[in-house]
Amino acid sequence: MTAYRLTTGGLVDRSRALSFNFDGRPLRGFVGDTLASALIANDQLLVGRSFKYHRPRGIVSAGPSEPNALVTIGPGARSDPNTKATVAELYAGLTARSQNRWPSLGFDIGAVSDLLSLFIGAGFYYKTFMWPAQLWEKLYEPLIRRAAGFGRVVLERDPDTYEKSWAHCDLLVVGGGPTGLMAALTAARAGLRVILADEDFRLGGSLLSETQAIDGAPAHVFADRVVAELQALPNVTLLPRTTVFGWYDDNVFGAVERVQKHVAEPLAKLATERVWRVVARRALLATGAEERPLVFGGNDRPGVMMAGALRTYANRYGVAAGRSVAIFTNGSAGYQAARDLHAKGIAIAAIVDSRAAAEDAAPEGTRVIRSASVVDTKGRRRVSGMVVERSGFEELVACDVVGMSGGWSPVIHLACQRGAKPVWSDQLSAFVAPDVSGRLRLAGSANGIYTLSGCLGDGVAKASVIASELGFKPAQDALPETGEEADPSFTALWYAPGAKSKAFVDFQNDVHAKDLGLALREGFGHVEHAKRYTTSGMATDQGKLSNINAVGILAGMRGVKPADVGTTTFRPFYTPVSFGALAGPARDKHAAPIRKSPLHEWARKNGATFVEAGLWYRSAWFPRAGEKTGRESVDREVLNVRANAGICDVSTLGKIELFGPDAAEFLNRLYCNTLLKLPVGKARYGLMLREDGFVHDDGTVSRLAEEHFLVTTTTAMAGGVMSHMEYCSQVLWPDLKVRFCSVSDQWAQIAIAGPKARGVMQQLVEDDISDEAFPLLAAGAVTLKGGLKARLFRISFSGELAFELAVPAGFGMAVADQLMDVGRAFDICAYGVEALNVLRLEKGLATHAEFDGRVTPDDCGLGRMVSPHKADFIGKHLSSRYGLTAADRMQLVGLKPVDREKDIRAGAHLLREGMKPSTLNDQGWVSSACFSPSLGHHIALGFLKSGRERYGERIVVWDKLRDQEVVAEVCDPVFVDPEKARMKA
Amino acid sequence: MIRDYYNRHALDEKLRGAPRPPSANHLAIGHRQAVAMALAMAGEEEAVEKLLSSTTEFAVRFSAPGEWLVVSENDTPEGLQRRLDALCSARVYIVDQSEARVLFRLSGPSTRRILAKGIGLDLHPTAFAVGTSANAFCGHIAVNLARTGEDAFELIAPRSFAESLFDDLMTMGREYDLTAAFAA
Repeated sequence: MTAYRLTTGGLVDRSRALSFNFDGRPLRGFVGDTLASALIANDQLLVGRSFKYHRPRGIVSAGPSEPNALVTIGPGARSDPNTKATVAELYAGLTARSQNRWPSLGFDIGAVSDLLSLFIGAGFYYKTFMWPAQLWEKLYEPLIRRAAGFGRVVLERDPDTYEKSWAHCDLLVVGGGPTGLMAALTAARAGLRVILADEDFRLGGSLLSETQAIDGAPAHVFADRVVAELQALPNVTLLPRTTVFGWYDDNVFGAVERVQKHVAEPLAKLATERVWRVVARRALLATGAEERPLVFGGNDRPGVMMAGALRTYANRYGVAAGRSVAIFTNGSAGYQAARDLHAKGIAIAAIVDSRAAAEDAAPEGTRVIRSASVVDTKGRRRVSGMVVERSGFEELVACDVVGMSGGWSPVIHLACQRGAKPVWSDQLSAFVAPDVSGRLRLAGSANGIYTLSGCLGDGVAKASVIASELGFKPAQDALPETGEEADPSFTALWYAPGAKSKAFVDFQNDVHAKDLGLALREGFGHVEHAKRYTTSGMATDQGKLSNINAVGILAGMRGVKPADVGTTTFRPFYTPVSFGALAGPARDKHAAPIRKSPLHEWARKNGATFVEAGLWYRSAWFPRAGEKTGRESVDREVLNVRANAGICDVSTLGKIELFGPDAAEFLNRLYCNTLLKLPVGKARYGLMLREDGFVHDDGTVSRLAEEHFLVTTTTAMAGGVMSHMEYCSQVLWPDLKVRFCSVSDQWAQIAIAGPKARGVMQQLVEDDISDEAFPLLAAGAVTLKGGLKARLFRISFSGELAFELAVPAGFGMAVADQLMDVGRAFDICAYGVEALNVLRLEKGLATHAEFDGRVTPDDCGLGRMVSPHKADFIGKHLSSRYGLTAADRMQLVGLKPVDREKDIRAGAHLLREGMKPSTLNDQGWVSSACFSPSLGHHIALGFLKSGRERYGERIVVWDKLRDQEVVAEVCDPVFVDPEKARMKA
Repeated sequence: MIRDYYNRHALDEKLRGAPRPPSANHLAIGHRQAVAMALAMAGEEEAVEKLLSSTTEFAVRFSAPGEWLVVSENDTPEGLQRRLDALCSARVYIVDQSEARVLFRLSGPSTRRILAKGIGLDLHPTAFAVGTSANAFCGHIAVNLARTGEDAFELIAPRSFAESLFDDLMTMGREYDLTAAFAA
């Protein structure tokens, strides 16, 4: 036993023990432990195998920068791979498993790769791409994939739920340490709406590990007092367990709250994680500073830890990582750790100081070796000693823990996520944040102020400035008393020379100092290149501990200053965020909202099969007993509409009402055909172009009164046409007096089509709807028997005698029921969008399958609709471009398979007989196809070069998807009733 | 043949069966109300706004410059149309939206926290006082949101989205035991 729980001390609740399990071993910890502190208390320092070399690795840090202690937590579908044990809150029943080892953590076969490390240095992965090519997919890739890696992702469905929430505040404080707490308190007392977020489960930050007294009380007691005051204020929101991961436009911050990551069985009514989008007028980063590791030989052996982490484990968790601790330091922090551990009764083996002289006080009786370096460590799965070198003299110092302290780096990630580059400070030997606008500031250690009193004061000062800026009056309260403080300085040491074994820079990605040298030699010395070539800083910890050392080492190797090397780019996320949290509730069928027609229930009741059309669920067909395929139902529905009557839900089409003295002029400019003189009580087909002359959308325009119009759009373009109108009205023609409003949701709209349609309608409608009184393209208000006000349109999308009846949405189902009821005598049937499609195809009517954005009105045979007389309309000018009027453009034609048994599918291309398929030989394509029950064979619409001149010609329909060629006859696109006699009936 | 057609609410399916007794946080679904869009004629925007706010017969919700949603608890759709015609004669176009919109009335101590899960607007009383209304997204769905009381909000959503919005609101409110029923 080397690591152990101290008999007293720490902020864990020793009266509340928790049992948990690591790699099958039952262990015990306390409430207030992290998984890491509990593992150390159980002498389990070895927690994983490294990424590439499978070297044994132990806990290094006590926070979110941890590179080694990545474990899989949770059982089955709930398991979270790559969770940092150093931030995972311990709970009763927690199960954790180590990663990247086989068959076990203690004996790992993959460790042989450490012996082969000469061959798998930096860039080896890329080199396997080069030669021989066949080996890549077959040998290298599978081998590398199996050997390398972290935890395994679970393929079961995640049973947890996630959510998102917005929050708004005057001041967002990121970090709940001394700086953040004082800033939040100052701002809150002044009346600002404050949000304080901290990733820890307990607020207080470094105060929880601090031995210095504040206002005569232990630092953690001071922290609790401040937290209690904040908690009582109504203008403060405290968000512990919340990591602010990103800074976005408009001072919006992304944060993830681990709502229930610290319980074995999450409550169903709560999300497991919650993503916050915090809209902050001002933000203050009080994110502290990160202690740097030192790069020396054997620095990755379990037991080599950050000196500050040793302090935290001893002071906050009452845990000693070892019985004999050696310190390797370049500044005062190493001495501070030694003093704190010594005070807890832990022996200090020696302090190795890279500096020649320092004021720092070592604990009494401790040996200090100055101007010295550590060149190697000894021990197998646990450090047993370190080799200290001074002026060529080597000495083995026995110890079971090495605490390393390489100085401090302010945590500035968030400030640099939006393009601002960190700037080098010679004075601090660190990169600091540049000025990134007054809306985000940094304070305390994040701002390079490392003393406790300095942090408390800077928090107050920055919060006061922000409060004043926002028009609040901050109080001038006295600062808390902190007493005497040590000088926090250090002398940068990027690489401890003379390493006798691998000196690791990036523990998580197994990058050591020589890899950086190789990168430089092979021409990848730029910091961004070196990062990719060596993968330094590319692991899940994003180089929180390693990046700065990599920069320092590259600078040293190149003989320049770190400022000349610069940093790699900071990007969200600060720490990894689960996909579940990012998706939030938008998952499965909630990924997008569902829109339902007012006739949805009617269709369901009538046995409809539904099809998704955008957000809509539309009835596709209405199968009857004995019908085995959709085709059978569709064929029956089509034939019944042609022979008798059918009703179809067309409520999903867009409907917009327009008003005003200039409404007619507005529409006249919007559509390419003339609408100015449309009589009241009449509907007209309308075709809308884009500015570039291609078809935008089509629909009908009805004039309900002199200054009152109703237009319909296709289902897909309902939103698009509405915003197009808004744009035209507000930007292009603000002088036109027109108002409009979507009424798509107000009306249930039913198409009634077929030779018996009038007979059916007469049963329902009070008004005279004979052909004389209500001819083709009539439109207007009618009254249904019983008094319900409705709108009726004599329009047809099937080529049959047809009406569209609009009733207020809530009455849709009752009216449709009634139509079915009275229609029984007329052999009515319900038909869905598939039959609707077949009916329009038989009539050669174009839809968005044809209007695919490359098609002009003339291409679809609608050239006569483009008014040559109107002064202007959208698309007029660009319609006359040479390319759009060329004679060999693809034109809409009909296609019939010569062998009537064959079928044609949409998407196929057209070729002259005997020609090879190629882009050059391409004659066109098939846009829509179906089986026509009226004709008894397949038909299709397609676009063919100069197609209208080629009726009667034979063409090859080349369908590469099905590897099939069918010879078809080119024909007029109107297959049924070209005289239009039926719909005029 | 004389027919009296049944008017079916968009949430009839969702709210079938006996409702649970309302909890502190409750979602009441408006069942019978008149909603109209009032579109001011060119140049009449200010006059119409003044006229609409001159009465307490109905509630007025801002929709766009010169456009308001008018919600009445007492009038029929035709009655509201007549009332608005009489009030703002020849200054405004009235479009009936009674069937196009579904009213969701959320009340209770946790209302703001529930709404924050879907709506990005700052609903602090200093930023969104009682009587304020605005168009907003609730998750993926466009709504008109109004504050009708300290802890009471009204969401007006397109009918076709009503079931989805209902599901979303109930999910957002599950942490606070949100209940739902048709308004009395």
